[in-house]
Amino acid sequence: MRAQRKIEIYLLAVFLLAGIFHPGILCPEEVRLSFDHFYDHAELTQALRALATAYPKLATLQSIGKSYAGRDIWALCLNNPQTGPAERKPGYYVDGNIHGNEIQGAEVALYAAYYLLKNYGKTDFATRLLDERAFYIVPTMNPDSRDWYIHKASDPDSPRSGIVPYDDDRDGVADEDGPDDLDGDGSFTMMRKKDPHGMYKPHPDDPRIMVRVKPGEKGEYILLGEEGIDNDGDGLINEDGPGGYDMNRNYGFNWQPDYVQRGAGPYPFCWPETKAVRDFILAHPNIAGAQNFHNFGGMILRGPGAKNLGEYLPADRKVYDFVGKRGEKIIPRYRYVTIYKDMYTVYGGSIDFLYSTLGIFTFSNELDLDAVEQPRPERRGAQEEEDEEGQMMMFQSGRIEEMAYHDHVLMGEQWSDWKPYAHPLYGDIEIGGVKKFGQRVPPLFRLAETCHRNAAFCLYHADQLARLEIEKVDVAKLKDGLFQVDVVIANSRVTPSMSAVAVQKKLHRPDRLSLSGERVELVAAGQVVDRFRGLNRQLKVHENALWVEGGVPGFGRLELRLLIRGGGQAEIVYDSLKGGYKTKSIVLQ
Amino acid sequence: MKRRGQVPVGLMMLATFSVVTGAASFSGKYRSPDEVAAALRSLASAHPQIAKIVPIGKSYGGVEIVALRIAAQKKGGADPDLRTAAFIGANIEGLHLIGTEAALAISEKLVNSYGKDKDVTELLDTRTVYIAPLLNPDATRGYFSRPQQERRSNARPVDDDLDMRVDEDGPDDLNQDGMITQMRVKDPEGKWLPDPKEPRLMKIADPQKGEKGLYKIYTEGLDNDGDGEYNEDPEGGVELNRNFPHDYEYGLKAAGLYPVSEPEAIALVEFLDRHRNIALVLNFSTENTVLNLQQTGQAKAAADRAKVPRMMATFLGLEPDQEYTLKEIVDAANASGMGGGMEITEDMVAMFLGMGPAVQIDKQDMPVIEAVQKEYKDVLKEAKLGYPEKRAKGVGKGSFNAYCYFQYGVPVFSFDLWAVPEPAKEQAKDALTAEKLKTMSSEEFLALGEDKIAALLKEQGAPPNFNAEMLIKMVKSGQVDPQKMAEMMEKMPRPPAGDGEEHPDAYVLKWADVALPKKGFVNWTPFRHPTLGDVEIGGFAPYLRIIPPPDEAEKTIALHTDFVVSLLQKLPGLEIRKTEVRPLGSDVYQLTAYLTNPGWFPTSTAQGRRARTAWPITVRLKLGSEQTLFSGRPVESIPYLEGSGETKKVEWTVKGKKGTSVVIIAGTPRLGTTSATVVLE
Repeated sequence: MRAQRKIEIYLLAVFLLAGIFHPGILCPEEVRLSFDHFYDHAELTQALRALATAYPKLATLQSIGKSYAGRDIWALCLNNPQTGPAERKPGYYVDGNIHGNEIQGAEVALYAAYYLLKNYGKTDFATRLLDERAFYIVPTMNPDSRDWYIHKASDPDSPRSGIVPYDDDRDGVADEDGPDDLDGDGSFTMMRKKDPHGMYKPHPDDPRIMVRVKPGEKGEYILLGEEGIDNDGDGLINEDGPGGYDMNRNYGFNWQPDYVQRGAGPYPFCWPETKAVRDFILAHPNIAGAQNFHNFGGMILRGPGAKNLGEYLPADRKVYDFVGKRGEKIIPRYRYVTIYKDMYTVYGGSIDFLYSTLGIFTFSNELDLDAVEQPRPERRGAQEEEDEEGQMMMFQSGRIEEMAYHDHVLMGEQWSDWKPYAHPLYGDIEIGGVKKFGQRVPPLFRLAETCHRNAAFCLYHADQLARLEIEKVDVAKLKDGLFQVDVVIANSRVTPSMSAVAVQKKLHRPDRLSLSGERVELVAAGQVVDRFRGLNRQLKVHENALWVEGGVPGFGRLELRLLIRGGGQAEIVYDSLKGGYKTKSIVLQ
Repeated sequence: MKRRGQVPVGLMMLATFSVVTGAASFSGKYRSPDEVAAALRSLASAHPQIAKIVPIGKSYGGVEIVALRIAAQKKGGADPDLRTAAFIGANIEGLHLIGTEAALAISEKLVNSYGKDKDVTELLDTRTVYIAPLLNPDATRGYFSRPQQERRSNARPVDDDLDMRVDEDGPDDLNQDGMITQMRVKDPEGKWLPDPKEPRLMKIADPQKGEKGLYKIYTEGLDNDGDGEYNEDPEGGVELNRNFPHDYEYGLKAAGLYPVSEPEAIALVEFLDRHRNIALVLNFSTENTVLNLQQTGQAKAAADRAKVPRMMATFLGLEPDQEYTLKEIVDAANASGMGGGMEITEDMVAMFLGMGPAVQIDKQDMPVIEAVQKEYKDVLKEAKLGYPEKRAKGVGKGSFNAYCYFQYGVPVFSFDLWAVPEPAKEQAKDALTAEKLKTMSSEEFLALGEDKIAALLKEQGAPPNFNAEMLIKMVKSGQVDPQKMAEMMEKMPRPPAGDGEEHPDAYVLKWADVALPKKGFVNWTPFRHPTLGDVEIGGFAPYLRIIPPPDEAEKTIALHTDFVVSLLQKLPGLEIRKTEVRPLGSDVYQLTAYLTNPGWFPTSTAQGRRARTAWPITVRLKLGSEQTLFSGRPVESIPYLEGSGETKKVEWTVKGKKGTSVVIIAGTPRLGTTSATVVLE
């Protein structure tokens, strides 16, 4: 063979071989994402771009604004345009990571998008969802604190807020004294000091655990709080760390100022991240269902966030109960709970704004449960004094189990053993404790399950948004050029086309039925209230259209009787803001 | 037709003369946003040393909203934006144009009196005043456009009727009189009928009185979008004075989609936030919060009293089942030492107890507010303006004034400047009053005659079965005498008016007929309406109740200018009144600094402290390298100082070389900083 030919064959072989091992080279649409690690903002950006590039017809990537430090807040919009524009389909919205340390929501959101795109055309469910609904997925709405938590020293609970400087201790300076990573292990753990006047002693079975002494008992240690020094010399340690507000208290429904609701900020939507999300949601009024991811505790939350709001209307509660209870089955050990009743009061939370101002059915999942496998005793609620010791014993045994988990399951990765340190103020101390990935976020071997189950819940909720069909159109010719047209619009899902709160408080425009055609005129219309007796409630007709103020109920039907003058071809359009846009052609003859 | 607002030349000249001499005066006309901006610019350019325009933001419609910062800065003196300041706002409702004029008049007075008037000069040398005369420029279109119509909303397009069209059906000037009034239409479902005593006024039929309604009432206009409703989606917008977050009314489109949704409100909140030196807000709006202290929040019985959870109660030495005021709990908490050195404040306790937002004026702040109220009432009484004090309007839900007190945490006083005066109650010359009765003898009383006695009984609201005959018998028999009757009359509350009740707007009409004949009230005139058929167009002219005729504005603006200037002089301050150094031996010295508030207002309100927007006064000790602190903290703090020279001391013990000096710096955002140097000797 000629040398050139040999080279050509050789190169071809290389390409083919490469194709076997790296499908991406031969088939550029293929995207492989793994859910065995946490994505920082850069990697998340890359993954989202890859998805949008690989599925250009189904996915659009959009930056909805910039965080305080200038990072893009990404929204991936999913829809099959061939079955209709996104804005005319019931929309489902997801955001994660509003609290900077509650990072796994981004992975769940990314997983949900990835799942839909990968399975489009392969499974009926995924195909139907992208054909019939529009998805708006914002994996992280707090990218600054996300990256801080992942890359900088932090602890499982921080940074919760964004990183706009905030004067927590009102000394005129912002963010001047946060925790310090004195031992350089990447986490803020705890400080203790041997002291005969201390109130703590080591647990008899595991000296790493600090337990409080009984009254009169001699202690051995003082607990000095979280790792840190007095950076600003004001006599306090760690009193003003980065940020310090709470973006999930910054939404504009039932908002209360800082002295009533700590962290709420000076006024609603004052931070760039909450502004961006607000603007995006307002720009997509077809959004009918939503999810805000948090951690932790294994809960599927719904509002109201505060007692003063009173309970939701019964019709809406039924929708929440239907979806929430199913969620408990999709995600075992998660509990479906109401915020103000079962948790605590939240003023100005996203859930309340989305539901009470915009009429969107919103859940908030607190992802992941305690690391310890066995069920823990209920620690909330008043306890009688006699029970206190019993409680203490159960609590302590839970902690032993927790240490066993750290030792043998996590194999020490997230536990920093007590080590000596020379503190400038306290002298000889020891630093140790649970490291930042050891609580609240799942261990990496569990992440994929958290993602799949919670994504499945979201997709279930999305599937349960209104699904309207112009089920039946019966045309009957009357005298004098009039036609009687009976229209039935059916909803085969639990979510009504208009939430009860939207109907009651006139939160958005009602559903609209309209008629178009060259020679047709809508003369009168009525909503059928008794089809056996032919009783109708008159509806006002104006310019060949009528408003359906109550929408189509969940798992229900809307029956209308129309009186039309004229003839020939006509089209009936049922246009629901959050329930979808359906049309049907008829012939009047 | 002569337009309302045209002023005789003589008055104009008088106004100009007043401006030149520095007296407060009204320009004679109500100025548009452009004219207001021009007036501010001309003040700033005429007095560049003390007047500067500072931006606040832009209205939804794109109009600049600014304040005039009036402050004299001495060379090397404190930055005016860091000195104690007052904020004077006006016309956030958009229809209170007299407020805009008052704010401009005050601006003129201050800049023109600087260097001439001792008090004003001292004020502007040590304090700063921000004056923003027009906080809702968009809504003023209602006054300056034709047709004229009362408007409070900004320029945001809002689909009020949710029909997917925006601002498609507003009022129309059908009778071309340049104003939007009302239409009344005879309608079988009508609920309205003309008031029997004053048929130009409409009242709702009272079926209990056998009345049947005749008319429906609409705003003047057509059904522009043909949907059967009239003027249901006019131009604009959100009412700015409903858009603030205290007791915000959710679900009301006029209040906005959510609190502080409007650019004007955001700009104002951010301005106040950025200028933490603002210690007092004075406002001109239709709310008169000086006279009317009523609040909108639900006055929950336990709003300021609470029970303390069991465990905490025993620790504090309080009863768990008893209710305590916030102050009592705070005092107990601090006395118990549970703060561990850190002071426990009201806001901490309130938050812990889940007490929610404050809804009543804090009891501790009431004396100051009541003192201002008393002074204001005295001023009004002397001026004899005829202002109807009983009709003063209090704050509304979501009002800017409420935000300034409850969340921004400073004293706020809002003046409405003018309202339609009540006619003086005419007493018939021979009317029987309690005074007269006291001087009468029984014989004189009986001599009045049965008719007069019956009239007296009726006026006093006596029950119908107690008639004049019975009363005469009682007097004759000695059971009752005129003195006793007088006492009873004085004790009894005035009975509510019976059938002779006046329409609530009758007094407005009476006044309009005299002050603005034919222009204050448009008489009902027939009009052929394209869809409603035969209607009559009429009603009160827009702005009648809110903006006085120019000649009435002059007097009230002058009065309020003086009152405002006197309030400005009451601003709080912070001074280190005295320092003491006492040698204790061995190079150890005791230092004492006395902090005082020379102003009249306290350095913060109790509500401000509860809302955590009132900062404590920090007192820092700056030591040199050869000194060490022996006792006391490097940064001490004083929660607040009452007014009128209240003084508190801070002490340290310092070890240092004799002859060296230490610096004491006291300050807080609302009062700026002040310092003193002491020498150890």
